[in-house]
Amino acid sequence: MNRVTDEKAYRRRRFIAGALGLGALGGFSALRYGDGTVSAKQSEAPVVKAASEELVSEKTGERLTNKYAATHYNNAYEFGWDKNDPVEKSGLFQLRPWQVTFDGLCAKPGTFDIDDLMGMPFSHLEERVYDFRCVEAWSMVIPYNGRPLKDILRVVEPLGSAKYVAFTSVLRPEQMPGQASAFSTLDWPYVEALTIEEAMNPLTFATFGVYGDQDLPQNGMPFRITVPWKYGFKSPKFVVRITLTEERPEATWHKENSREYGWYSNVYPDISHPRWSQATERRIWSETDVERIPSRVYNGYADEVAHLYPGDRQQYR
Amino acid sequence: MIRPLVHAGLALPALLIALAWQRHALGVDPQKALILETGIWTFNCLLVVLLMPIVSRWARWPALLKYRRAVGLWTFAYTSGHFIFFLSFYLGWDFPRLAEEIAERPYVLLGFAAWLTLAALAMTSTRASIRALGKNWKRLHTGVYLALLFASVHYLLMIRSDWSWPVAYAAIALFLLMARLRRARFMRA
Repeated sequence: MNRVTDEKAYRRRRFIAGALGLGALGGFSALRYGDGTVSAKQSEAPVVKAASEELVSEKTGERLTNKYAATHYNNAYEFGWDKNDPVEKSGLFQLRPWQVTFDGLCAKPGTFDIDDLMGMPFSHLEERVYDFRCVEAWSMVIPYNGRPLKDILRVVEPLGSAKYVAFTSVLRPEQMPGQASAFSTLDWPYVEALTIEEAMNPLTFATFGVYGDQDLPQNGMPFRITVPWKYGFKSPKFVVRITLTEERPEATWHKENSREYGWYSNVYPDISHPRWSQATERRIWSETDVERIPSRVYNGYADEVAHLYPGDRQQYR
Repeated sequence: MIRPLVHAGLALPALLIALAWQRHALGVDPQKALILETGIWTFNCLLVVLLMPIVSRWARWPALLKYRRAVGLWTFAYTSGHFIFFLSFYLGWDFPRLAEEIAERPYVLLGFAAWLTLAALAMTSTRASIRALGKNWKRLHTGVYLALLFASVHYLLMIRSDWSWPVAYAAIALFLLMARLRRARFMRA
């Protein structure tokens, strides 16, 4: 190779390097921010004028997080780890038919259709406005539609030996891309559990919808359990099995990393988490209105649940 | 001709992020998105800075290294954005709490260490400092590899379940670090 072609080859390399560099910068950023890939389906986003359009519960008068925020910012690793994966990647998920099996230490085990679990038309279910507090130190105020779990559990008649209630979520990798992901370290299906006293507490809510809407897989429908004084991952979604046990059952995040995710995982602002300080939370009212507020012990439900946890709080973290 | 392209290329992500923020296209939690995106672009810029000498040799393009300072300063700009957003959104400018966070959480400590390192490099990037520091300047500025190491572990510590992106970045960082070490040994031999 003579000097001239040599120089030509290097010039080509310079061009390739420069073009690749700029192309990568431009391409990556344009793809990522150009059409709102960072967010979910931009066209649906309502334009919110903060104070004037505050959403308020008709029944209780409490201020609510708007529905768009609550349905486009979710943790459901079954669909993916990103906050908008649950809304964007749940298109194949079949909400019906849905059945829930009750087994273990109960006198009347059985499998029930979801409409029988509701026990009444969906529109007649109770609305409960709960603060939802994620372990990631953000929170929302959400109207849940459902009925106390204790009313359902009574039907299957738990035995005296039943000390815990285990929840198993659905396993459908063909409809839930996160369950099929090779990069996820979680074991599927998702499992969670409560003590029988926690499960029978009137606050523990068998949930069939939010904002009066049942068709929201991103929020864990058709059937989830809402436990408002614990970090959000203790409220299992897509529940298909409820098992009464004597031994303490495993829970998915606790099994994944017990140092970070305690078995009880009650909201204790004074007990610091290795990843997030729990002293404050970011209250998400809407995509334009996020407020930093102090967190409360038991997420503000101490009056109703503090009696369940005698002695040193550390053991209930 | 090349300098404006370098600046335009590195300003583009910041500009697009700012525009997306302004038209509420950063999703339901724009605060978190801003923190994540500025973090990722700090990492991207770091990789560009460290790829430049490799590309410069591959294409016999010594002039490319003239733009390294520009890329380095953009790296510092993104990491500062990342830090400022974290301070503002997560800590509400509560400096005693920042101290607590640094003491308690290794990922915050590493992020802070990376920011400090990059700040030191940015502060000493002027011609005057290059002259004043002489031989030590080069030694000081290999600190960029330290920043890369901090950033990689910082990102790896963020893994909760999905490890694809942090591990991909760490792998590239490791490759760049090995390439640099090999070259250092080669030069000494």
